[in-house]
Amino acid sequence: MITAEQKPIDEIREMIAPYKRILALGCGSCVAECAAGGEKETAMLASTLRMAAKIDGRDILIHEKTVDRQCVKDFILPLDDIIDQYDAVLSLGCGAGVQAVAEMFPAAPIIPALNTEFIGETRDQGYWVENCVGCGDCMLYDFGGICPLTRCSKHLLNGPCGGSRDGKCEVDPEVPCAWQLIIERLSKFNALDRLENIYQPKDWSMKQGLGPRNIIREDQQR
Amino acid sequence: MNEKHKQKLALFYCERTPKSSEQDKQSLEQKYGKSIRLFPIPCGGRIEPLQILRALEEFADAAYIIACPKGKCRYFEGNLRAKKRVQRAQEIIKSIGLEGERLGIVMNEHAKSLARQAEEIMRSISHLCPSPVLSPHR
Repeated sequence: MITAEQKPIDEIREMIAPYKRILALGCGSCVAECAAGGEKETAMLASTLRMAAKIDGRDILIHEKTVDRQCVKDFILPLDDIIDQYDAVLSLGCGAGVQAVAEMFPAAPIIPALNTEFIGETRDQGYWVENCVGCGDCMLYDFGGICPLTRCSKHLLNGPCGGSRDGKCEVDPEVPCAWQLIIERLSKFNALDRLENIYQPKDWSMKQGLGPRNIIREDQQR
Repeated sequence: MNEKHKQKLALFYCERTPKSSEQDKQSLEQKYGKSIRLFPIPCGGRIEPLQILRALEEFADAAYIIACPKGKCRYFEGNLRAKKRVQRAQEIIKSIGLEGERLGIVMNEHAKSLARQAEEIMRSISHLCPSPVLSPHR
């Protein structure tokens, strides 16, 4: 999932300052899972901003609405019925959601309320960790399901570096050494021989070297 | 501070708070009138920052939660969760310039009655100015 965190409230207040009628738009997918932009967080932010406006003596209207997915046009299309009521949309979607709404409604100013962070996993309640950089050439088979590009502090494809202590990274002793984990897992599956390969540097043209990426699946199209 | 101002308190309380039956609730409401709004909840852990913020936004000068003492929650950690959520809500209101003490949680260590707790909380917030969030013409 895509993780995000709410921007500082002062930054949001500054961005919404020119507008009087605002739609706070949440997203019920990834950012709901990471407790940044779901229905609850959208209501909290809207409530906070309304209170801040009252303290400042400003007369503004902030309504809140949450769609299932801001990054899918079919889900944001119904906003067409209400969008004209607002001067601006304060989006609690990830960067993809914000841009999908902006493209769908070109006349409405879109304000991002979140900072999009990383592709990650919910490790525990209230704890999210980055575990994928979206390199476009997944090597998790080779590394036993643990991505050294993301989880090794030095991003080594040919590790370990030799600096770990007690299974922890020398860069940050709080972080498990990804290479220790890789070796443990590959040993468990009797597959350590995969590490006899010398892995070449990543071909980053698969990521952003050729500009924004897209995926086209004709079987999924209309 | 305006001496005539009567604080309005939103009080959320765990239903296991001693002497918090419907009858006790009603007699408290009679005593304090519009100055108090009582919200029984099945466990302190049921409280969400949103409910606290909404109370402050819509009618309350202060919002407090009465939860069970440490180690005494029927659901093991509802009281601890409530504490964290109140802290979160406090951070939010402080970020917009409201005093953190408009929110609070009481871990009912000495098993005091709802009425006693309400009285103590009312006393502890009596020095607060009227909330700038609420219209002066309430």
